[in-house]
Amino acid sequence: MEKKIGVYICKGCSIADTVDIAKLEECATKEMKVPVCRSHDAMCSPEGLNLIKNDLAGEEINAVLVAACSPRAKTKEFKFPGVLLERANLREFVAWTQEPNTEDTQALAEDYIRIGVTKTIHAELPDPFKLEELDKSVLVIGGGVTGMTSALGAADAGYNVLLVEKNEALGGWAKKLHRQLPQSYPFEALEKVGIEATIAKVDAHDKIKVFTSSEIEKIAGVPGMYDVTIKNAAGSQQAKAGSVVLAAGWKPYDADKLTHLGYGTSDKIITNIQMEERAKSGNIGAKKVAFIQCAGSRDANHLPYCSSMCCLTSLKQAAYVRESNPDAMAYIIYRDMRTPGQYELFYKKMQDDPGVMLTKGDVVEVREAANGNVEIVIKDTFLGEHIVLEADLVVLATGMVPNTKVEDGKVAQWKEKFDEALKASGGKPDPNAVIEQEKVPNLLNLEYKQGPELPGLEEAYGFADSNYICFQYETQRTGIYAAGSIRQPMHMLGSMEDAMGASLKAIQCIEATAEGHGVHPRAWDYTYPVVNLQKCTSCKRCTEECPFGAIEEDAKGTPFHKMSRCRRCGTCLGSCPERVISFSDFSIHQMSSMFKAMDVPDEGLRIIALVCENDAYPALDAAAFKREKISSAIRFIPVRCLGNLNLAWIADALSRGIDGMILLGCKFGENYQCHFVKGSLLANERLGKLQETLGRLMLEPERVRLEQLSIQDYDKLPTILADYIEEMEEMEPNPFKEF
Amino acid sequence: MAEQVIKPDLDFVKGVMASGGESLKKCYQCATCSVVCNVTPDDHPFPRKEMVWAQWGLKEKFVGNPDVWLCHQCNDCTAYCPRGAQPGEVLGAIRKQGIKEYAAVSFLSDLVGDKSKVALLFAIPAILVALVISMAGNWAPEGDVIFSKFMPIITIQMLFTPALLFGVVVAFLGVKKFWTDMKQANGVSSGDLKGSIIAALTEIVSHKKFQTCDVSKDRYISHGLVFFSFVALFITTAIGAVYIDVLHMESPFYLGYGTPVKILGNAGAIAIIAGVVLMMSNRLKNEATLGKGSYFDWMLLSLILTIGLSGLLAELTRVAGIGTMAYPIYFIHLVSVLALFLYLPYSKLAHMFYRTAAISFIKYSGRDSQSPEVAAAVSAVATGEPAEEEQTKTEQSS
Repeated sequence: MEKKIGVYICKGCSIADTVDIAKLEECATKEMKVPVCRSHDAMCSPEGLNLIKNDLAGEEINAVLVAACSPRAKTKEFKFPGVLLERANLREFVAWTQEPNTEDTQALAEDYIRIGVTKTIHAELPDPFKLEELDKSVLVIGGGVTGMTSALGAADAGYNVLLVEKNEALGGWAKKLHRQLPQSYPFEALEKVGIEATIAKVDAHDKIKVFTSSEIEKIAGVPGMYDVTIKNAAGSQQAKAGSVVLAAGWKPYDADKLTHLGYGTSDKIITNIQMEERAKSGNIGAKKVAFIQCAGSRDANHLPYCSSMCCLTSLKQAAYVRESNPDAMAYIIYRDMRTPGQYELFYKKMQDDPGVMLTKGDVVEVREAANGNVEIVIKDTFLGEHIVLEADLVVLATGMVPNTKVEDGKVAQWKEKFDEALKASGGKPDPNAVIEQEKVPNLLNLEYKQGPELPGLEEAYGFADSNYICFQYETQRTGIYAAGSIRQPMHMLGSMEDAMGASLKAIQCIEATAEGHGVHPRAWDYTYPVVNLQKCTSCKRCTEECPFGAIEEDAKGTPFHKMSRCRRCGTCLGSCPERVISFSDFSIHQMSSMFKAMDVPDEGLRIIALVCENDAYPALDAAAFKREKISSAIRFIPVRCLGNLNLAWIADALSRGIDGMILLGCKFGENYQCHFVKGSLLANERLGKLQETLGRLMLEPERVRLEQLSIQDYDKLPTILADYIEEMEEMEPNPFKEF
Repeated sequence: MAEQVIKPDLDFVKGVMASGGESLKKCYQCATCSVVCNVTPDDHPFPRKEMVWAQWGLKEKFVGNPDVWLCHQCNDCTAYCPRGAQPGEVLGAIRKQGIKEYAAVSFLSDLVGDKSKVALLFAIPAILVALVISMAGNWAPEGDVIFSKFMPIITIQMLFTPALLFGVVVAFLGVKKFWTDMKQANGVSSGDLKGSIIAALTEIVSHKKFQTCDVSKDRYISHGLVFFSFVALFITTAIGAVYIDVLHMESPFYLGYGTPVKILGNAGAIAIIAGVVLMMSNRLKNEATLGKGSYFDWMLLSLILTIGLSGLLAELTRVAGIGTMAYPIYFIHLVSVLALFLYLPYSKLAHMFYRTAAISFIKYSGRDSQSPEVAAAVSAVATGEPAEEEQTKTEQSS
């Protein structure tokens, strides 16, 4: 079908006060030769929208370019189902950031029309990718409070659930508790542990199939169609699932390592887990109980993080002590009391008890007292000097270690083996070969090129955390969602909330896969990467760079996408040296055509900025909202991720006479902010070959700059851009301008 | 650093909580109280340390501690406390414990401090006065209303002078013990006792500490009114005693309303009522921010108000010649004054002794004079930065 593009220019929000609309219309119709171009005082108004809808209805056009505000604004208004839509940002990038009615400003606006029309010309509506077969079951790994809550959540929503528990019985840690913290307002009184009721509900639910004493032997396949092998004493069983909730929980920190707090030297020094057992047995057997908080937590030698539940557990156990005997006292020695959320109320309640005494302080020594009790020496209290406190029971409040945590030293061992393998194989190592053998932590056993388990983030301390800013529950494996204390240390109430969140994400993933669109963060996106295999050289760069393990290779080394694992980031598009990967609305060729469409005069600076649409683009919009002035030499073009950067673009742009390119992306690093793990980092690595690319053109590599920024850096953006422009102005103009 | 063994005493915690410090445990030791307090010394701040000690039941920490007595109960700490721990109220409760600890005859301490024993508390002086009247006076005198017919002056002296002496002696013994404890606890062996007491009294009379109260500014006025009317009434009574007992003259109170003695006495009576009413209304008005006060506080306020009102009403009804009202009111007046004297070392009024002692002690021990480092730091904070800002502003404007 012949594409008939309509360009709709909005005059509102000071656009018409900044540029000559008639000239823009002329640019669209005469130069870009679109059949329809209209303008309106407020294109987002019902009258403005009717202009577009009438043209669509009359079949005068079948693709729309709205030249108005940022594509991030008015998304509800500018929505035409089944019609290709592009946006040109005349408000933020022109009207709000440029000097009104100058030649440069007009040229900029006209370039955005050219770029927009070209982009539309080279885009097509997608034909969604759908799995031939789909299973909508949710696989939940872990039968503790998180796993069971998650299973019930998904099952109550109508989805079949496979619940796999390693132990003989469901219940997890909750089953070992004497009492549980209050679960609802006013968060004051301890409650009987409610886990038995949950277990009964799970057992009775006809949509939940429970596998106890079972482990996951293998997970193969893709979201929407996982082939799960469940192993137990009876042997291996096959099952299918659409998505996975990983709720395999935690274990307490090894108290044997807490010798500095006297653990192991006296039976009067126990852990909070042992205290729970004592309370459950009905005999605490002590009248002066001291709780030492952060026992091996927030400590560089042990667990560097806060487990967020130990303070609450000690307060709870202080209540056990007080209930056991009205004359009994509970001393709590803390570094900071941390009682997340509404549990501040419980803290207050326990504080009011005259027999619960709290002090800030650091424990210097735990030693035996003359009378056989234990003496604790504490410094930095508000009681003045080093204080000595005698107790007949000391409870060490130990923290949580996620079951995903790989033991210290293991990683180094793997690295060693990896390096050996690298040498032996002469540079073509398979890092997963080593990890496969280890089977640690042996939770998922994924059949993924990237290895059997979730990749750990350096700053996540072994927790299955992906990115705490934007992606709760998300992991770097699409369709697998982590919940509860395996994701982050948390208390039971938090785990239950987490469980529901994760099961909703799991359901969303199944439905997105069924519909053929992406999951978070591109949940609206029906496009997907298509490889022109005829030109593929099997270099495997895309399979290595895909952050989500979505690209595998066949026996001949030819890549193929496991599409429902794909998050549509386009990192593969950027990685491909042969430029054979494209999306229906986004391709190497499309971008190059957009650069070519720009007007490059012989005189005057021209810069292209490729902007990450997740962070840098909103930052630009924010700067525009603040009416910051930005150089009229720069043309901002959004990309899905800076990982889209293909060196071909730089060569194309600079050989067209563009003076330079600035790439605005996310900050590097493991504790990443990048929505697609490491897009800007990959872009930066690709720039390592820039010298080679630009050397051929006899151009300086300084013309291309990558800037890392986060969304809140909008205030720094104008300076970053101005500095770059200043440097570019000092450089000779691009000699290709004259060609 | 030296190690210090602490011995948490649960009963002490419960005791403080039961005597008006029920909010004690709410403290989470942030120190807002010590920061907002304008009375606290810069290098020995209270009341946070006292709050922590009390939460942990460290009773021995309060033995010989002058700091709780340096507090003037402005309650700025209570107003700003983010946790509702009401340090002002808690310190009041701790002082009450101190009064109880130091006063001899602990039975009377319990009586004064216990709400449930209020009937017995007033029955004792009432029975004493009634006994004397029954023996030496006249329950319903005929003719002009003359109070000495109701209860002869000599019998008043025989009852009230020993009562006051008892109170003063008990208070003196308590203060003496307190002083010894303070010396021991703070490792102070010698100093200028006379000079310190004079300096302390000068400070007390000036009421300058009350002027620094932030939230309850009226406290300066109300305490001043009550304080000076007590002084005025003491002088008036003393003059009376001198006329009658030393000079063996007619009571000066019969000389007429224009005489200085009479004016001072009446002014004192009116001022004491005004002062107490102001204190009470402030308490009620600021209950939400400053706390409602304990039974111990209200007992003293009510007693003083009763004394003031009954005294004034007795005088008015006497002048009006309404004997049926004047004598019963006068009876109430006598009972309440006797209660004040008897319970002097046990009631909140004992603060006049202990606070004076504490203020004297910090002067005696030299702690009142700031160390040069602290003085420098304080002045830097108080004046340094704003002064610079001011300078910059001036420069900019010029």
